[in-house]
Amino acid sequence: MDATLVIWNKHMTKFLRSTEELLGLLLQSVLWVVLFGVGMRSMIGEVDGSDYMSYILPGIIALSALGGAVGGGMVLLDERLRGILKEYLAAPIPRLSILLGSATSTATKALFQALIMLVVGVLMGARLAPNPLGWLVSLLLLALFAVGFSGMALAVAAVSRSIAGYHGMIFLFNLPLLFASNALYPLAVLPGWMLTIVLLNPTTYLIDAVRGLAFGAPFTLPLPLSVAVVTLFAIVCTWLALGVFRRSIRG
Amino acid sequence: MTELAIIARGLRKQYGTVIAVDGIDLAVPAGTIYALLGPNGAGKTTTINMLTTLAVPTAGEASVCGYDVVRQADRVRACIGVTFQDIVLDADLTGREVLDIHGRLYRQPAAVRRQRIAELVDLVQLGEAIDRRVRTYSGGMKRRLELARGLMTDPRALFLDEPTQGLDPQNRVGIWSYIRTLNRERGLTLLLTTHYMDEAEALASRVGIVDRGRLVAEGTPGDLAASLGADVIRVRGSGDQAHFVSHVAALPFVARVETDPEAAMVLVYVDSGSRRLVEVVGLASGNGFVVEDVTVSRPGLGDVFLHHTGRALRD
Repeated sequence: MDATLVIWNKHMTKFLRSTEELLGLLLQSVLWVVLFGVGMRSMIGEVDGSDYMSYILPGIIALSALGGAVGGGMVLLDERLRGILKEYLAAPIPRLSILLGSATSTATKALFQALIMLVVGVLMGARLAPNPLGWLVSLLLLALFAVGFSGMALAVAAVSRSIAGYHGMIFLFNLPLLFASNALYPLAVLPGWMLTIVLLNPTTYLIDAVRGLAFGAPFTLPLPLSVAVVTLFAIVCTWLALGVFRRSIRG
Repeated sequence: MTELAIIARGLRKQYGTVIAVDGIDLAVPAGTIYALLGPNGAGKTTTINMLTTLAVPTAGEASVCGYDVVRQADRVRACIGVTFQDIVLDADLTGREVLDIHGRLYRQPAAVRRQRIAELVDLVQLGEAIDRRVRTYSGGMKRRLELARGLMTDPRALFLDEPTQGLDPQNRVGIWSYIRTLNRERGLTLLLTTHYMDEAEALASRVGIVDRGRLVAEGTPGDLAASLGADVIRVRGSGDQAHFVSHVAALPFVARVETDPEAAMVLVYVDSGSRRLVEVVGLASGNGFVVEDVTVSRPGLGDVFLHHTGRALRD
């Protein structure tokens, strides 16, 4: 447990020092919320009774959590490729703590990025529902989602041979997960084949739950189902990361 | 019998069909400096990786500080320090943070960490720079910081993989002096790998020569060299080397003759270089071999390597 904390702490120190990474995060939120969101809003007034900014904000937040997870995976990849992992491996610490340290720092970053997006979104006119409990559950779901994506990113980071390879693989998830979800359009307007794909995407469940809980939109999917899917997603991805990581450090 | 800090028996490591280490035996007494000398790719790093628990041996066994490297890996990890072949440092952290985080990974209390860092900064002479980001360090400073990190937890055995690779002569001599100090003043056991003959000669109480995953010779640098002959006359030239070699070998005072084809060099081991020089060189003239350069010296580890592997070890 100690080692997990040390590694988490070290990753956070490095994160807060890397101005490029922080600037990149802020820029991303500006691009999505301020440009995309505002632009689309002037074209589309309302979706399902929510204004468009409130409607797409949960999706943008999910996407930014994903961006945070990608950044977190980069740290493990970087430490692996540069050999820093060997310092941990030669130390009398549980191998699991290396992954847990990386996973917690990755999830922290993802959550941090999601929060920035939320704040910018609200500043740009998204309307939160007056439901603090809903906000809390939303954050919790978002954290689980971040853990899930961190797991996925870390699993890829544990086996990638280069930074370019990592980004290539991550890119395969990134945009498809956004487009093949209810982030930008409601489920009701989708043709059947696309609906099938969208319902296989855990992002859809997170977005639907957050929309209902934090922004007061009607739920289009049962909330317990959404919670179950997001939780399962977090567990499966963590388990995946663990398996891949274990295999990757076997000397 | 002195206590052995590092023992290996038939250590072997295979990656797929590639045999990186092919049965190495080691017995390093506590408080000594042992150097594994060999070219890149000889299996030195793989050997160190197995001894430091980073790689699991395919066969054979090893123990460090009395603990088995596979079954008691955590115990081994707790009693050793390691520096790796490549520089492995976080550029965005300060030197002090690097050392502090390392100490925390090993659960050193804060007071101990502070004190150790103060001592180590002194030892490796990092001074004020310890509070600067590592990205501002020179190559030599990075190596010194890594050495300090390896020592942070006060290990009983320190493993150094190519400790001076890529350093300028001044920094190399600096690192050597820290290594000697550690060994002399704290009785630290050191195992280092190097492909520099002078490094092994300068530091090691015992040298193991590694080639293609095997230990081909072992001993003190002096004994290893002396086993070849008292002096070596190096004759570089062009023409019919073979004829010259066969004639020289027939001389009664010649212990052995070896050739280094890449350098067009014939090495003649004799009882006394200065006395036999004229006679040896004289044999060249009538035999179609044109001498270009002759030197006389004591044999070194490079000659030992050539003798055991048939190839020269070049820096």
